[in-house]
Amino acid sequence: MHMASVAQTSGGIGQSLRKSLPAYGFLSPWLIGFFCLTAGPTLASLYLSFTNFDLIQNPGWVGLKNYERIFTNDPKFIAAMKVTFTYVMLSVPLKLTFALMLAMALNKGVKGLSVYRAIFYLPSLLGASVAIAVLWRQVFASDGLLNAVLKFIFGYQGPSWVSNPDYALYTLITLSIWQFGSPMIIFLAGLRQIPQDMYEAASLDGASPMRQLFKITLPLLTPVIFFNAVIQTIEAFKAFTPAFIVSEGTGGPVDATMFYTLYLYLEGFAYLRMGYASALAWVLVVIIAIFTAFSFLSSKYWVHYDD
Amino acid sequence: MKLNLNRRSLLMGSAAAFGASMLPAFAQEKRLRMFWWGSKERADRTFKGNELYMAKNAGMKIDGETIGWSDYWPRMATQAAGRNLADVIQMDYRYIFEYARRGALLDLSPFIGKAIDVANFDKNSVDCGKVDGKLYGINLGNNSTAMMVNAAAFEAAGLKAPTSGIALDDFGKLCTELTKAAKKEGFHGSQDGGGNEPGFEVFVRQRGGELYLEDGKPGFKAEDAADWFGFWDSLRQSKGCVSAEVQAMDKQNIETNPLTLGKAAVGFAHSNQLVGFQAVNSAKLSIAAYPSGPAGSKPGAYLKPSMFFSVAATSKNAEDAAKVISYVINDPEGLKAYGVERGVPPSSKARESIAGDLDALGKAMVDYIAEVTPKVGPLPPPPPKGAGEIAFLLRRTNEEVGFGRVKAAEAGKKFFAEASSILSRG
Repeated sequence: MHMASVAQTSGGIGQSLRKSLPAYGFLSPWLIGFFCLTAGPTLASLYLSFTNFDLIQNPGWVGLKNYERIFTNDPKFIAAMKVTFTYVMLSVPLKLTFALMLAMALNKGVKGLSVYRAIFYLPSLLGASVAIAVLWRQVFASDGLLNAVLKFIFGYQGPSWVSNPDYALYTLITLSIWQFGSPMIIFLAGLRQIPQDMYEAASLDGASPMRQLFKITLPLLTPVIFFNAVIQTIEAFKAFTPAFIVSEGTGGPVDATMFYTLYLYLEGFAYLRMGYASALAWVLVVIIAIFTAFSFLSSKYWVHYDD
Repeated sequence: MKLNLNRRSLLMGSAAAFGASMLPAFAQEKRLRMFWWGSKERADRTFKGNELYMAKNAGMKIDGETIGWSDYWPRMATQAAGRNLADVIQMDYRYIFEYARRGALLDLSPFIGKAIDVANFDKNSVDCGKVDGKLYGINLGNNSTAMMVNAAAFEAAGLKAPTSGIALDDFGKLCTELTKAAKKEGFHGSQDGGGNEPGFEVFVRQRGGELYLEDGKPGFKAEDAADWFGFWDSLRQSKGCVSAEVQAMDKQNIETNPLTLGKAAVGFAHSNQLVGFQAVNSAKLSIAAYPSGPAGSKPGAYLKPSMFFSVAATSKNAEDAAKVISYVINDPEGLKAYGVERGVPPSSKARESIAGDLDALGKAMVDYIAEVTPKVGPLPPPPPKGAGEIAFLLRRTNEEVGFGRVKAAEAGKKFFAEASSILSRG
């Protein structure tokens, strides 16, 4: 609506192009990067997914063979899907809940809000880095810091949290919560937009804080929750670094941390089956797209837009 | 004369001056890239060798890049895909066939007798770098599988440290006794070697099999694998080797081996790694052959080219790259820098040349190779495509047994079936 009215008033196409030229000029560093570094390789990988590319020789066309194998004859694909879905299904709600709780606490009018905000955001900046993943490996090893503390306080000898297949994935899920920074900031912004008079009116009518949370805060925050959930779900599907570093690139122990992206990486770069890895990548794209589409369809029923 | 400087002429002038200052550097300097995997010890020695070479050959610049074993191959694959391989590449016997047959490496035959001198190599030491009749790798040193042994730990417990020739079952018993006698929490006789591919290969060969046959099919039986996993499972249960949790932290390199981390008295490795292991171990290490089979078994171990130097097919300075390789296998200076850290030099003249400089470690390694040479079997057929993936599979299957997911007998069948399927896929 808005866009159309702008176009109508600005006259011919040539003129509007001339007007927007400086904008494209300023966008060009990003646009060039997008086309050369993202769109180009993405399209190339679509082509490669129909080939037997081994990184060294020229790719040869194999048609749908790679896709056929993924869906009919690849137990590791199924295992990797299980690991990845477990990670997504557990880490996203936990992270969002944690981020929302902190945002609400910070929204209570603490002094020095910007300092806290910066401090809480810090883990998100560091969290995906290799150095931190290496640190986790040390902290959660069988003779690591965590077990030393557990033993000192509770006299309990803990297992190796990262090298035991029963715990390794859950350790990674716990660690992902640590990167709550960006959803927290977005929640905080969302909370600020809720009109204060609603709370005042509700308290006058005798609504308890709990009731206010469920009847005012959460419903009015649903667009922000929805946005965060979609973004974090996509991020979680793409998780790679923690598993790669913590398992030393093997997805071990016993494939417990064989994330989809890690499996894809091993197929492509360790076993030189880049064609197959490209097909795996496109299957992941489709899975994420389906997931996101479902989220949008479902949003009709639970997201309240304020209009 | 009036000097008229405006902004444009100033810019042009300074650009020209800058360009001129760069030109001679480009004209004179030839650059080579060298890429290898290995420990810090190896990095120090290789950089030293490169420096000496550059000092001798003015205008030659060698840029070294190094990384650990497990990250090396993905990096190499990426560089190969980008047509951006280093000129001089460290190669392994397992991968030389894959890379050579895919056309990533240069046939070095034309350089032999010219840029590269292998006159004092014995025939086998040259031929092991051949693929389909062409020479793709120059052997940097001979080595063999070897256990690294913290002998002092055995002696302190009143036991005799394992030496070459010990039978596998006796080795297991000895390790269990050490764990009991040492009474140190978290300290065991041996690392868990069930996921160690060279160990499994030696075990299979002792029974008359091979890991892979000439035609690229598995040369072992499911029962062999089951017995192998079974041996290590019983050793884990008797505490003779470290737990599955501890072994899972081993990156299969020197720095994270349970021996280095002070959790075991024996680590499974290759003889050339003695130098690297000793550099990060405070206890004095000795070296012994992998345990033998029962009486009447075949020799399992073999003399192996520890690694090669190859030249990338895309190298623009192939001849210079070849000269660098010749330098480290023949020139007394280059030989001294490398020592025996990459194995015992294959050239008889080179061995004489470094003999005087060897420290006790180097001597131990040279003696070890001399000792095992008459006892080893032949070089196995080249590993087929998929061998790298099967090495991962061996480790994972051993973990499955270690964490109680499957019984050893079932694991043997499973490993055989999955390995066969990887090989048929290629």
